[in-house]
Amino acid sequence: MRQRFQILNDPRFRLVYDEKRRFFEGPDPATLRLNIEHFKVADGIKKKTRVFPGMLLATHASLDKGDLHSPIYGIVSDINARSIFVDAVKREADDPVLEPRDFLEEGREGEELRWQMKEMGVNMRSLGQKVKTLIINGLNPDPGVTWAESILQTHANNLRHGMELQRRLTRADRIILAVPKGSTVSYDGVDIVYVEPEYPNSVNSVLIREVTGEENPPDIGAVGLHNLWSLGRVGTSGYPLMETVVTVGSATQWKNYIVKNGTSVGQLLTHAKVELNEGDTLLRGGPLRGECLDRLDRSISKGTVGLFVVEAGTVPPMEGHSPCVNCGACVQVCPAHLNPSTLSRYAEFANYNVCFQEHSPLCVECGLCGYVCIARRPVLQYIRLANAKIKQMQEFVYVDTEENASDETTEAKK
Amino acid sequence: MSNSEKNILFAMSAAPFWHCGRTITKNSMHYMIALMPAVFMAIWHWGIPALGVMSLSILVAMLTEELFTRVMHRTSTIADGTAAVSGLLLAFLMPANAPYWIVILAAFCAISLGKMAFGGYGANPVNTVLVGWAMVFVSFPVFMDPNSMLLQTDFIDPLVRLKYFGAEALQNASFTTSGLMFGEQIGALGASQILALLVGGLYLLARGVIRWEISLFFLIGVLLVAAILNEVDPSKYASPFFHLMTGSTILCAFFLATEFACAPDRSLGMILFGLTGGALLVIIRTYGVYTDGAPFAVMLANLLCPYFDMIKPKPFGVKK
Ligand code: SF4
Ligand code: SF4
Repeated sequence: MRQRFQILNDPRFRLVYDEKRRFFEGPDPATLRLNIEHFKVADGIKKKTRVFPGMLLATHASLDKGDLHSPIYGIVSDINARSIFVDAVKREADDPVLEPRDFLEEGREGEELRWQMKEMGVNMRSLGQKVKTLIINGLNPDPGVTWAESILQTHANNLRHGMELQRRLTRADRIILAVPKGSTVSYDGVDIVYVEPEYPNSVNSVLIREVTGEENPPDIGAVGLHNLWSLGRVGTSGYPLMETVVTVGSATQWKNYIVKNGTSVGQLLTHAKVELNEGDTLLRGGPLRGECLDRLDRSISKGTVGLFVVEAGTVPPMEGHSPCVNCGACVQVCPAHLNPSTLSRYAEFANYNVCFQEHSPLCVECGLCGYVCIARRPVLQYIRLANAKIKQMQEFVYVDTEENASDETTEAKK
Repeated sequence: MSNSEKNILFAMSAAPFWHCGRTITKNSMHYMIALMPAVFMAIWHWGIPALGVMSLSILVAMLTEELFTRVMHRTSTIADGTAAVSGLLLAFLMPANAPYWIVILAAFCAISLGKMAFGGYGANPVNTVLVGWAMVFVSFPVFMDPNSMLLQTDFIDPLVRLKYFGAEALQNASFTTSGLMFGEQIGALGASQILALLVGGLYLLARGVIRWEISLFFLIGVLLVAAILNEVDPSKYASPFFHLMTGSTILCAFFLATEFACAPDRSLGMILFGLTGGALLVIIRTYGVYTDGAPFAVMLANLLCPYFDMIKPKPFGVKK
């Protein structure tokens, strides 16, 4: 199997793990910290407010982003610009109880349903894409993340609900479910396509290419299974979305938990009995595309797909300044046919214009370039930096050309 | 003790957090392992002098690198093992009883002009080892010619036979295929350990340290051109397999042409690069003044590398 067999021969990149157990319950946290950046705190929510599961805490102006609800009985202990803190309390007899709703019965469709689901806490950006064909990405997003097979097989009811709601959004003319080759799942009335479950095929743009044979075709979008699971969760439970499914992975264990939104990573790790040691790396998201955490009080949010500990000494350390040695491994594995080696060097020397000419914005952020780099360069990080700078420059140019426009329109455009 | 009670300091890093495990240092280690069979065979055939040349070459290569990193105010890179590997490969291209001063000169030239002058490991446009080798080979041909240096041996130099006596003379010569494989021929001390190098090369391939396209198509290039010539006139041109088993063909195919800094990065480029190198090898051997064209073939191919690198696919989703 070609060169890739040599450079990418990590069995973990095979995205099927035969993990079909039901999800484990996450911890019952004593405190929660819910992120409210860009949110507006709901009326009546202030310090000392008593909250109950499903109670609205904050709203987001955009249709793309779900509103925020309390997952527990508790008391708001603090609110600052970035977070709401909730201390758990025992349920009391006179605490209000939210009645579950049946959204399929209620029968909303289209825009109305989209608003409703957003109000129920679901992030609707990917789910509500207006495209001809929407592909549901049924693969585990990153190597090491293992909930996809369970969602497809063990939690089928949830998924069925999600797909039905998705259909009723009527934003996409056609919905396709992409599942790993060899999978036997089937759902009435759902088109299924099979893709090779090998990373990076789970990266949305690569998946679209695998399914359609085209690179970045117009009018075709993809949405992650995780997102659809959230929609299905709202559909089956009848409550607002208050939790997420997270793979917790370390050298010793690998389990999927349903975790309450706002739970700190420290609480989750203790609950999962993961021992931490000095020098370990803690990351939220997937092992190839996630983000590094510096503290245990960071929290799990609705979009969190995984929480991983990379034990000290299991990967060669990154040592800061390490020049590229032209080994070409990154060039060979890049699914976007870019040259991460030269791109990272241009970015290193702040040559962002050249990065742009060399198509760095087409990077699909799979992280493979950094995975194979023998010099342990933060290749993806350099490319992300370049792309962020390019975006900044483009925005700058955009505002600049609007200079003569009236203040109002400039304000509005911003 | 629960995690929150410990005051843990995490290592911060950037995505991706998993890594294939290959590093420059580990690659050097794999090279060393891969070269060991040939080292043993060289000592077996040529004794202590061979060991002396190899040790001296490694030592000088490492010292030169250390010297240059100090002069250039760089952090020392001696521990990554790349200088040691270059030193050993360089020794493999020398006669077993090359005088010590020539070994020192070659190793110094290789690291200084073939590596550090361009900024260090991976920045050189031509193979580090071959730069050092070519400097002394061209300047002091007599001392670098195994045939004139190794007088007290029963072996013969098959390439010299071919060059000056023609392919027919090979038939009555006293070597066998298996003999050639086991290094029973006059040649550079390591380059002539054909079977041992083959084993080492396959080891590197299996470890993903080198790219199979280059090695495979280098050998195909050799076989192809040699086969064509052999077909034209078997009495004048040697059989393709003869070319594989003599000189430094195998060493070049697996250890020198594959140095990735001066080889193309993408599959098609590598294939063409390999074919070109292999074809040049036979052409130089046949029409050139040198008996073993392999190192020069690799250097020429190195120089063509930027052109092979121009062959690249369109970036993701870019049409036309
Ligand atoms: S992350 Fe690296 S390998 Fe992946 S698409 Fe971007 S440049 Fe290519
Ligand atoms: S993998 Fe690293 S060292 Fe190799 S070419 Fe890419 S950036 Fe350079």
